[in-house]
Amino acid sequence: MGVTRREFIKTTAAAAAAASIGTTLLPGGVKPLFAENDMEWHKSVCRFCGVGCGVLIGVKNGKVAAIRGDKFNTINKGHLCVKGFYLHKIIYAKTRLTHPMIKKNGKFEKVSWDEALNFVAKKFNEIRKAHGPDALAFYGSGQAETEETYMANKLFKGCIGTNNMEGNPRLCMASAVGGYLTSFGLDEPAGTYEDIEQAEMFMLIGTNTAEAHPIVFERIVRHKMKNPNVKILIIDPRKTPTDQVADLHLFPKPGWDLAILHAMARIIIKEGYADEQFIKDNVVFKDNKKNLTYEQYKQFLEKFTPEYASKVSGVPVEDIVKAARMFGQAKTAMSMWTMGINQRTRGVWANNLITNLHLLTGKIGKPGCDSFSLTGQPNACGGVREGGGLCHLLPAHRVVKNPKHREEVAKVWGVPVSNIQPKPGKHTVAMFEALNKGEIKGIYIMCTNPAQSLPNASKYWKGLKEQFVVVAESFFPTATTKFADVVLPAAFWAEKEGVYGCTERRSQYMPKVLEPMGEARWDAFILRDLGIRMGFKKEFEKYKTAEDIWNEYISLTKGRDLDLSGATYRRLKKERGLRWPVPSEDHPGTYKRYVKGDPIFDELSEEKKKGRWIYFYGKPEGKAVVWARPDKGPEEPTDEEFPFALSTGRVLEHWHTLTMTGTVPELNRAVPKAYVEINPEDAKALGIANKDQVIVETRRGQLKIEARVINRPKKGTLFIPWHWEEWMANILTIDAFDPGSKEPEYKVCAARIRKA
Amino acid sequence: MNGKLGKGLLVILFGVLLIFAWHLQANDGKAQGEKHPDVDFSISCTECHQEVTPEIVAQWKSTKHGMMNFGCYMCHGDGQVEFKAKPDTDNCLNCHTGEPVDASKGGNLQCFSCHKNHNLKFHQ
Repeated sequence: MGVTRREFIKTTAAAAAAASIGTTLLPGGVKPLFAENDMEWHKSVCRFCGVGCGVLIGVKNGKVAAIRGDKFNTINKGHLCVKGFYLHKIIYAKTRLTHPMIKKNGKFEKVSWDEALNFVAKKFNEIRKAHGPDALAFYGSGQAETEETYMANKLFKGCIGTNNMEGNPRLCMASAVGGYLTSFGLDEPAGTYEDIEQAEMFMLIGTNTAEAHPIVFERIVRHKMKNPNVKILIIDPRKTPTDQVADLHLFPKPGWDLAILHAMARIIIKEGYADEQFIKDNVVFKDNKKNLTYEQYKQFLEKFTPEYASKVSGVPVEDIVKAARMFGQAKTAMSMWTMGINQRTRGVWANNLITNLHLLTGKIGKPGCDSFSLTGQPNACGGVREGGGLCHLLPAHRVVKNPKHREEVAKVWGVPVSNIQPKPGKHTVAMFEALNKGEIKGIYIMCTNPAQSLPNASKYWKGLKEQFVVVAESFFPTATTKFADVVLPAAFWAEKEGVYGCTERRSQYMPKVLEPMGEARWDAFILRDLGIRMGFKKEFEKYKTAEDIWNEYISLTKGRDLDLSGATYRRLKKERGLRWPVPSEDHPGTYKRYVKGDPIFDELSEEKKKGRWIYFYGKPEGKAVVWARPDKGPEEPTDEEFPFALSTGRVLEHWHTLTMTGTVPELNRAVPKAYVEINPEDAKALGIANKDQVIVETRRGQLKIEARVINRPKKGTLFIPWHWEEWMANILTIDAFDPGSKEPEYKVCAARIRKA
Repeated sequence: MNGKLGKGLLVILFGVLLIFAWHLQANDGKAQGEKHPDVDFSISCTECHQEVTPEIVAQWKSTKHGMMNFGCYMCHGDGQVEFKAKPDTDNCLNCHTGEPVDASKGGNLQCFSCHKNHNLKFHQ
């Protein structure tokens, strides 16, 4: 798979230039800047967020020596963010876990793989025999490859026989899934990044795109610089670096933005910005109990005057009106959101209300138009949403409660269909609650750090302490490995091959370019070997390569909405990913769903397509749903005792729980520690100066941390970046969750602050 | 030790020193022994430089690099493990892959030969 830089560029439009690296000048005396020094470059994908940037891994003398943005990947066109820039260094971090260990008498001792896997298999079998399959659980990751999650799914749901299988995308993307399913009937966006350069207007709501999805931000910036008439509306309680391109910023009180979205819908209809024909042809209306007519929906909206929305949210009336007109007047509009919308007790509803605006104005299914959820992890979409790595799902957008789905999957897995339970297992918060109660007695945690990343984290340390915990990780120690009985060293990015599926439905191949560090092994094969040792030899011994697993997975996608049958390894190794549906090896992939060019739309009967340029085939009659949802606020609103709304989030330079970025000196220099942002007016009132040590307290815990007095958070709100174990923001956050998506409300809880 | 041998050793020593000096010259700031002043490293580069070199921070902020928050450390190192007062341009190519340059302008061209100062304006 390795290609030299020379070979690589030869295949591109720059062939003429590359053919003469360092020697011959091009016409006009132009030559490529620097020659290469025998570096082998391998096409891959970034390990960090869900944008899915293409990278080139430079290997020299058997070591990964460099990383570059992949100029020929249309997602990032060669650009990298500051995290991706240092990705190659993380492979050689001093904190790499290089051998299996078992905790004996309270101390980790190095053991052989045989001893470790035999021990885990024996313990898991004992628990299963004594307490049943539901006493075991798996907790995975949106950072695991699709092949890895697929193996875990088969082992736990298909062989052990429990649906207690979750992953951290429950904590970040579940509300977006719920939003797409309820609005369109199918998960994942209709559009792609290609819409960015065709959009006249962007609504960025609950997203600090500049820091959490920097390359998407870079594309928006470039687009706006070229086209100054492009309008950018931001709805976010906090001023962020994304504001550098804002035309209008609405600052709602955290958790109180639903009324704004309804008010915008009301203005859009009243002022004639709605696309009435689109609505007539393609939309139905519903509230939480019943179908509505368009008139009934309009009646529902009457409550949401700009004045009402202003009173609820704290946003000036005129800004709400301006925002609605901005959306209504633009010929094309793209909405983007992430955790500020998803991590809410009404995350699904908030998702619905964003999509409502697109459905009312017909700004969906056309170039430059989409309601486009940004994903936080590199394979949350591919491995967990598509791969079925949650407690109610099966691979390829199937669900455990559907008997046909269970049959189809059991057949491919080679297991009795009775092995797969029809009832969903425990979702993430319930799973860790069950560990606390002792209902779950053994858990396998892969590629994630829940002891730090769970909301109200310290509440769940009890269960982790008391039950049998296996952690497969590339790094050691983490907050979670402290509680482990067994740690298994996992191969890291570049030490394994596999597929990541990013935000825009694109699946991309990553090669293995070097052997795993120490005794580390590929997670998928750790699970395979554990399965064999637990007695499922027949079910697992057939998997010899990553391609074996991928081929079996894509066979399950055949004929599904996310058809990946044409995305074979052979193709993915050559191409910069493919966007599903891609039903055959000669299919180019799909830019837009639900319209011409989407193979599923194209194959609809003429009767269905009659008079329709868009058909939401996930819903009856191909009609998407505009939802009349109540404008409920957060679970824990502020009060006299806890008068501040606390929000947590990311900084550009760090990622999740610092297991990766915390090993890079440059990134630690950029942001060395956590802090709490407080508005200058609030700070003055409380006598808090910049850099003072303060105590931030919620009903769940307190944290001593440095104050940053800055005009970023709205008055009455606080913000803490959540990455550091030393300043663990999640001991403060609330574990209340959305009743639909079961995603916790990390983004809002009530807090107080005082000088330490 | 006779005089001839002594002279020979001196020549060898001089040669070694010469090679060592050349090596230092040819390498980056780290090898030249450049050291960032000892400061409070528990605060970020920009936070401190905002106070000590505000004009440089302002220049940087006015660029797309500043907009994207590509911090000081990306060219100059973290200041402790690595520090390059005058950065080399290898890192530029991590993103600006295969950017062409007009070689008629001179021999040993580096990015910063033309993109000067912290706003990186071309031929400023």
